[in-house]
Parts: sequence; structure tokens; C-alpha cells
Amino acid sequence: MTLSVQRRTSLKRAARPARRAGSVLATHRWGLTPWLFLLPGLTVIVLMVLVPFANTLGLSFTDSTLLRQGEFVGWDNFRRMFADERFTTALLNSTLYTVCVVPCMVVLPLVLATLVSSAGRLTGFFRTTMYLPVVMSPVVVGLIWTTTLDKRGLVNALFSTLDAVAEPVPFLTDRWLLLFSAMFVTVWTGLGYYMVIYLAALANIDQSLYDAAAMDGAGAVRSFLAVTVPGVRSTMTLIAVLSSVAAFRVFGEVYVLTGGTGGVGGGDLTMTMLIQREGTGLQARTGYAGAISLVMFVILGALLLAQLALQRKRSS
Amino acid sequence: MTPAGRRTALIAGLAAGSLMLSACVMGGGDGTTKKSDGKVSGKITFQTWNLKNDKFTSYFKDLIADFEKAHPGTDIRWVDQPAEGYQDKLSADAAAGSLPDVVDMGPESAYTLAKAGVLLDLNKADPKAEGRYVDKAWKAMTFEGLGGGTYGYPWYLNTGPSFFNKALFKKCGLNPGKLPATYDELFDQAETMAEKCSDTMMIARMPAIETFGEYGVPLMDAGGKKFTYNNAKGVEYVERFRKLYAKKGIGEEALNNLQTKEVEEFKAGRLAYLPGSSYTLDDLKATAPDVYKDLGIGPRISDSAPNMYLESLVVNAATKNQSLATAFATYVTDSAHQLTFAKKASVFPSSAGTLDDAYFTQDDKDPATTVRRESADQVRKAVVWWPPAFSGSADSNTLREQIAQALLGKKSVKAALDASVRYSNERLKADK
Repeated sequence: MTLSVQRRTSLKRAARPARRAGSVLATHRWGLTPWLFLLPGLTVIVLMVLVPFANTLGLSFTDSTLLRQGEFVGWDNFRRMFADERFTTALLNSTLYTVCVVPCMVVLPLVLATLVSSAGRLTGFFRTTMYLPVVMSPVVVGLIWTTTLDKRGLVNALFSTLDAVAEPVPFLTDRWLLLFSAMFVTVWTGLGYYMVIYLAALANIDQSLYDAAAMDGAGAVRSFLAVTVPGVRSTMTLIAVLSSVAAFRVFGEVYVLTGGTGGVGGGDLTMTMLIQREGTGLQARTGYAGAISLVMFVILGALLLAQLALQRKRSS
Repeated sequence: MTPAGRRTALIAGLAAGSLMLSACVMGGGDGTTKKSDGKVSGKITFQTWNLKNDKFTSYFKDLIADFEKAHPGTDIRWVDQPAEGYQDKLSADAAAGSLPDVVDMGPESAYTLAKAGVLLDLNKADPKAEGRYVDKAWKAMTFEGLGGGTYGYPWYLNTGPSFFNKALFKKCGLNPGKLPATYDELFDQAETMAEKCSDTMMIARMPAIETFGEYGVPLMDAGGKKFTYNNAKGVEYVERFRKLYAKKGIGEEALNNLQTKEVEEFKAGRLAYLPGSSYTLDDLKATAPDVYKDLGIGPRISDSAPNMYLESLVVNAATKNQSLATAFATYVTDSAHQLTFAKKASVFPSSAGTLDDAYFTQDDKDPATTVRRESADQVRKAVVWWPPAFSGSADSNTLREQIAQALLGKKSVKAALDASVRYSNERLKADK
């Protein structure tokens, strides 16, 4: 009896907001109006996201080229992909890029943001300096670093002057050195952007927490670990998500440093570069490029889901 | 209409719109050759690349004005775009069904578009055209792999001599009076240079499909249906590079070099050999005077026939003014206009007999005239080695990468060439 009364009460409570919403709709008789408001955004999403996605999905199961629609070939493109040494190379490079770049992107900007968060005389200058690479054109960034890392570039000239190396360091011709150089450029250009996001998050941390920590005898490092890090944890997750997607899709840095060639012997190809190579130009194999894109989508989707699940687990 | 009905209609409308848009994207020509009505009138678009500039604009404006004057009632709209990424621009136009009526392009792009049925077969549309052009230029636009159709009016040809830095020859113990003329001589001298000078290279260019041809490697089977450059001769050619690389006669940067870098190295006086074109001499004179002072010039290095490059004018199969388009393309590529253009652009004409003009045969001992005369002689012997079915980017990238892997010792030369041939043949087969 008691249980049934409780259930009825809770049902009534649950029904209340619904009834209010229903009455609003009934009063205003909006008809098509919400759809008209939605139409521009919906059109963009349908035309720019859903249709291309459906098209890519369909293409990936065909032997379509740019100028020929192609026929259904089942899983052939995927079988070919896993036998294609360029795909294996690209997958390895993109994965390695993500593994190395994301921790740097999550931690370093936070440290920088903490250093420049106080209102000092020079902090504005440092903030601007660190943000400068973000607003620079990727082509300019590429040119700067290509010139700097070249066999006859600034870095090798410096090493040579210091007698630190017998032969120039092959930053732009050795497979791994080039990949790590590109990672460095990515981190260099991304630091300022993520630092600004962290600065916004740091502003939301209650100062009294730092005061309390100081009263408990915590030093700068302890305060950083016990107050700052927990205070920006959700921002860290956001940055991890954003930077991992960007890192896996890396294109510009590697493209510019390799002169658009994918490195010596194609050893520095990334997933996006492979898609670009297969899916553009007159001889584009759009079916095969679509299949690679689909695999990339699945990997990125899995990565995002894993990160969100991890975040939920931490929160709970 | 009920709200549910309206919702369904809205979604259906959006879906239909999307489908129509995607249909537009996937649309293409039907490849049929339209019958010309013979009337030269109406309006067409003429597409070139990087030719609207101080040097060429007046030439093309006058050319078009003269044509329009000679053919009242015609209107030629000239469009010029930067050449960077021209394949992407062509592919976007072709896929959208908006290819201009007359387009300037090389044989490999023409091959792909012809295969898709986008280009006019001149053997059918203009059968008398063949006799107006040098035979090998016409043949270069005739694609055996596509049933023997000819898909472009040959326009200009280009080839050039080999340039050598004689100062580096002297410095590295080589005789500047005996410049290499064959691949054997080139590799032998390159090895000597590698032994004597650690900071100087003879070669900074990886083998490319046309140099395989110059070495004497059979590139395709007789029917033009399969690539065959992984044969013994092809392996022998790349092995020479591998040995030279092992002796540090080729730098690691060369494995990834694009041609621009090779020119920079030559101009900087660090590279001894540069396969050039007819306008390289002027460029070196203007931008690398120190190198120019001690410049050696010899014929293009070749064990078979030297290579030449060809540019053509193709006609869109779906043009609404086929007679006008073919008449205009013929006009641009006729002997008189080719000669004028060749003089202006330092290239060579493909129209029959034009190479016999005194401009290409007489030599007043000026270095520029000598280069022009020798290059013209070379054009008479040259072959367009680049097979049209060998795609400009995908196939050549794969070949370069595979050879780099062989030179780095990651795989044998044979395995690398097999992989490259397999990739190219796969593409050829997939594009059936």
C-alpha cells in the first residue's frame, strides 16, 4: 500500500514538467516554426557531414575512381589496405604521433598557463609570445622549420660550430628524426592555443583552495598537483580529446617538412597523407581512399569513446 | 498536410536535394564523339596554365583577336590558372562535367580523361589532322591502350642539354674536356667524384620513368596494357644508382628530392650535373653567374633516344561547339603560330616541318643559339618516353619511394621495382 502511494506520487512529480512543456506547445501552436529555425543548420549538417559520410561509406565498398562510379567489391578495399605496406606505415606513424604528442599537449600548456596565470608585468608579453605560433600561417611555420632543420640549417650550423657532431644531423631525411621533428613543430604551434584554454580553466579555481593548501604547508609543486590539476581535470580531458584527434589526423607538419613527398621511401606517410594521395588527382582511387577514411573514422571514434569512458569512470 | 506529413516532406526534400548534389559530383561525360556541324561559330573556353603573365599575355590576346577576326561570330574566352595542383583542378572540372572546351595538357592527364570518355578522339573527329604534325608527337597523343584513338593536338615540345659544372670536374680529378654522354660514363665519373670529393655530388636526381626509357629499359608491353620496367635492364639501371649511393656518390636528400632542389644545388656549386631544358641556360646566367662562368654543355645523357616532353591541346568531347573548338586548337598549333610561340617561350614546335626553320638550324656561336640548335637536333631524335598510362603523381611517387627503399637497403632492387610495377599495373587494371 505504502509502496503504491509512493509510486503514484513520484509518477505525478515526473509528469509535472512534461505537462508544463505540453501546455507551452499547445498555447503557442508553433507548427513549422522550429523546423524553419533548424533548417539552415540542419541543411549544412546534412549536406556537409551526413551526405559526404554516407557517400564515403558507400564508396569504400566500390572500386570507384574519380571519373568512374565503380562497382560493388565487398571487402576488397579493406583486404588490399591491410596488405598495403604504405597503410601499415601510415597507421604506425599516426599512432606514434598521437602517443607522443598528446601527453605533451596535455601537460606542457598547463605548466605554461600556471607560470603565466599571475598578473605580473611580463606575463602579458610571455602569453603573447607563446600564442604567436598559433596565429602564424602553417606555410610560414613549415618554411621556418624546414630552413632551421635542414642539413645546412641553423641547428646543424650550431652543432657544427660547437663541434657537437661529425656529420650534419639528418633531421629531414631520417625517417624517425623527421617524424619527431614534425611532432616538435606540432607541439610548438599548439602550446599557445591549449595554454589559453587552460588559462580560462585556471581562472575558475577558487583562490581559497590555494590559500588553504599554503596554510597546510604545501609548496608550489604540491599546490600544483593537489589543487591545480584536480581543478582543471575536465579541461585536461577536453584537451586530450581535441589533441588526440588532431594528432592522429596530422598532415600539414609532415607534408611541409617532407616537401610533400611523405619522406624518404615514403617512411613518414601519415593516414591523412595517404588518403590525400589516393583520393586526389586525376587518377584518384576514391573507393580505396574512402575505405582508408572509414578505418580512420573507426579508430578515432574508438579513441574518443575510450577517453570519454575513462573520464566517466574517474568522475564516478 | 499534417505535421508528420510536413516533417516527412521536409526530410524527403532535403534527401532529394542531397542526392541531386551528389549526382552532380559523380556525373561525367559519356565519352561519345559528337558529330560536328562544320560551322565555326559560337563561344568556347580555352584553358592554359601559368601563361597569363607579362611574357605571354599579349601573344595569346593577339592570337585570339586574330582568330576571332578571321572567324566572325566566334568568341574565345581565355582562362589561365596557376599550374600548381593542376591535376586537382582538372579532376574537379572533369568530375563536375565542366571541363573547358580546349585545354592545354600533357599526355598522362589526357590519357586518364580520354579513358573516362571526356576527350574528343581526333582520329574520328578530325582525321586529316595527323599529317600536320611531327609523326612521333602525334603518336605520343595516340593511346594504344585505349584502342588507338588520338586525344590531343600536339603543341610544343621540350628537351634540353646536360649542364655540367666544369670547376667541380677539375676540383674532383675529372677531365672537363671529357663530359659524360652515356650512362656508363656518367656513373663512372660520379664514382670518381665521390671518391675524390666528399662534399660534391655528380647526381642528385632519382631514376624516373622517362630516364628508364633513356637507359633503354622497355617500359610497357607492346599493347600498352602492362608495365614491364622491372625487367633485367630496369634492375641493372637502378643497381647503378644503388652502388653509387653506397659509395656516397648520391646524398640521402636526393632520395627525397624534387627537381627544384636539384637546380638549387647546381646553382650553389655543390652539384656537377644538371639535366636541363632549353631555358635553363638563361636562368643560370641570371641567377648563378659563378657557375655560368665555368659551365659545360653536352647532349642529354641517353643510351637509347633522349627524352622530350610534349604539351598538347585537347578538346572536350562534350563541347557544344566542336567545330569551333577543333578549329581554334588547330589554329593555335599550326606551323606559323607554333614557330612564334616557340621563339617566345624557348620551346620547340611539333608541327610538321617547322623545326627546319633557320631559327632552329643556324648557329651564330652565341651560347644561347648553340643550345637551341643542339636541342633542336636532339628533338629530332628524341622520344616522349613517359608512358601516358603512367600517372603523374601516384605512379611516380611510388616508383621514387620504392627505389629509395632499395637504395637504403630495405629491400632488393628487384623487389622494389616489382612492387612499383605491381602498383602501377593494379591501377591500370582497376581503371578499366
